[in-house]
Amino acid sequence: MKNINKILLENKAWAQSKIDLDSEYFTKMAIDQKPEYLWVGCSDSRVPPSEITNTDPGQMFVHRNIANLVIHTDLNFLSVLQYAVENLEVPHIIICGHYNCGGVKAALSNQSLGLINNWVRNIKDIYFTHKTDVDSIPTEKERVNRLVELNVIEQVKNLAHTSIVQNAWKSHKRPHIHGWVYDLNTGMIKQLICLDPETEVDSAYRYDF
Amino acid sequence: MKALSSFKYDFRASLVVFLVALPLCLGIALASNAPLSSGLLAGMVGGIVVGFLSNSQVTVSGPAAGLAVIVTSAIYDLGSFGVFSLSVVIAGVMQIIFSFVKGGRLGYYFPTSVIKGMLAAIGIILILKQLPHALGFDADFMGDESFFQRDGKNTFTEILWALESTHLGASLIALMSLGIMISWEKLAKSGKEIFQLVPGALIAVVASVLMNLFFEKFIPNLSILDQHLVQLPNFKAGFSLPDFSAFNNPKVYLTAFVIAIVASIESLLSIEAADKIDPQGRITNKNRELFAQGVGNTITGLIGGLPMAAVIVRTSANIAGGAKSKFSTIFHGLWLLLCVATIPHVLNLIPLSSLAAILLVVGYKLAGPEMMKSMYKKDWNQFAPYALTIIAILFTDLLTGILIGMIVGFVFVIRSSLHKSIVMVNEGNQYLIRFHKDVSFLQKSNLLKMFDQIPEGASVVIDGTKVYIDFDIAELVEEFQKRSAGKNISVELKKSTLALNTTFLEKHA
Repeated sequence: MKNINKILLENKAWAQSKIDLDSEYFTKMAIDQKPEYLWVGCSDSRVPPSEITNTDPGQMFVHRNIANLVIHTDLNFLSVLQYAVENLEVPHIIICGHYNCGGVKAALSNQSLGLINNWVRNIKDIYFTHKTDVDSIPTEKERVNRLVELNVIEQVKNLAHTSIVQNAWKSHKRPHIHGWVYDLNTGMIKQLICLDPETEVDSAYRYDF
Repeated sequence: MKALSSFKYDFRASLVVFLVALPLCLGIALASNAPLSSGLLAGMVGGIVVGFLSNSQVTVSGPAAGLAVIVTSAIYDLGSFGVFSLSVVIAGVMQIIFSFVKGGRLGYYFPTSVIKGMLAAIGIILILKQLPHALGFDADFMGDESFFQRDGKNTFTEILWALESTHLGASLIALMSLGIMISWEKLAKSGKEIFQLVPGALIAVVASVLMNLFFEKFIPNLSILDQHLVQLPNFKAGFSLPDFSAFNNPKVYLTAFVIAIVASIESLLSIEAADKIDPQGRITNKNRELFAQGVGNTITGLIGGLPMAAVIVRTSANIAGGAKSKFSTIFHGLWLLLCVATIPHVLNLIPLSSLAAILLVVGYKLAGPEMMKSMYKKDWNQFAPYALTIIAILFTDLLTGILIGMIVGFVFVIRSSLHKSIVMVNEGNQYLIRFHKDVSFLQKSNLLKMFDQIPEGASVVIDGTKVYIDFDIAELVEEFQKRSAGKNISVELKKSTLALNTTFLEKHA
């Protein structure tokens, strides 16, 4: 059987197994969603958010891109963010990177990859800011992993610099923003940073409402 | 026209199967300590009746080596062949009942390791018990089924005893028969068609007859006496009725039950194997097969034949012989009938030691040293029940051995399922206990140990939403939740509308 047909069958079996346990499962699920988390993660196939956190359909709103970046001109991401924060009212946003990330590796190399250079440029900027820190690390592998962590922290800060988050912090005291990194070798998540709604945003990025 | 052209193949295949079946029917009757004619009767009924009723086109039924061990002990326990025949009739009726309650699934409830162990043990018993016969020593007909015999000797002392009182002529014939069969098989594997179509066992038997005739003429000292030759009564005297007066003997029913179970399992296994090698890939209806086998055993019991099952050696000979439809197996039954009716005096020239040699080869194949090696290399969970079944059958009897094997098998299944079905992780004072495989009451102590590790002041989430949780375990969880209130432990149960247990089930709003 072709793999593509296999996964269609797997889907059918999955749906059937849910219905066998709860005949109303999908009809109830279809009505509405009230997720608790917005997950901003990497597109890497080895980091499936609902699998690694054992969360069920309906629990997590998801945005994934290469190297889990928060870009202020990315209309796609900003729409997701606004909808999650203002309409779904999620109490938590999780930015989750992972060690040995291909996008971060690319940022540390001098290879030209075509169109994707423009996306990776955002990570190169972070590298440039922390160049002495990163370059002092002896091995390539550890340099990549350090930049992975720095990238997550920068993206968490980027989130805090959006007017969407600042507005929600001020008027609703939510969401919490978590910066995590996932280790492909152990399957474990490490917490790097957590910003609560009381966090002071640097005056350069602060909006008055 | 199509039927006619396939009939040509069936006709040829039926002769091949007949030639394979003839020495096996006699040999299995010999191994069963039953009248030799009973093996031939079972072969006829297996071919004609079961062949006609079965839904399989290529399977051959007849007396089975796997049943020989049961038959030997049953005839001894029940005291007479007539009483034994009654239990064969009842076994047949039981199989018919199995078929109506859809017992075709029966085989699936026995672990493969135990079934393989049973077959290997039967093979070993055949070898150990046929060695004295092969050496021309047939004194002990009783207690052949178990290691420790009722006459105070055991299998090994009997072999030693037989070594002292061997009959040189018989031993030579057995040795030659073995040699012929082994080299014949090698030649057959090399791909020459003639060696594949003519069975080595038949050649061995013919050669044995000729050799004994040679002894009689030229070396009378070596010639084998009548009592060590096949002694078939005339055609009519071969038939015998069951002893119906024994109907109130409970042992008759126990024997019948054991025969019904083992014959059914053997038939189902053979059918499964036959379906796999049927070139046309036809799938046999298992319940229909049990019905056919049941009718076959009822009839064979009524006329004084051995119990039967679908058998794999004759089936593969049938397929290799080119059989297309059930005409082949039906005709092989007719040839057996014809042969016994017309030339019993020719069959009476066959030395028993050559039949014993055939059974040595059958036993060796059942015991399968290669199978043993591959089982040994497998998982311990497979090998332990397999090996223990063999040992238990050898030192007790078939039924006890299978029961012991089943128990060991289940213990291993349970043991492996106990492994790692509950995970507990913690981050400081926060604990998560998750059931990720179905849990039964057998997991109680594991779970209690985990609960004991949780310190005061902790907060615990228990996730039992994805698997089946036994009532006992759910109760334990609820008790833990109640007890924890006093110990300043907060317990939260993760709930889901998909949960399989009421404790973790969330109702739709």
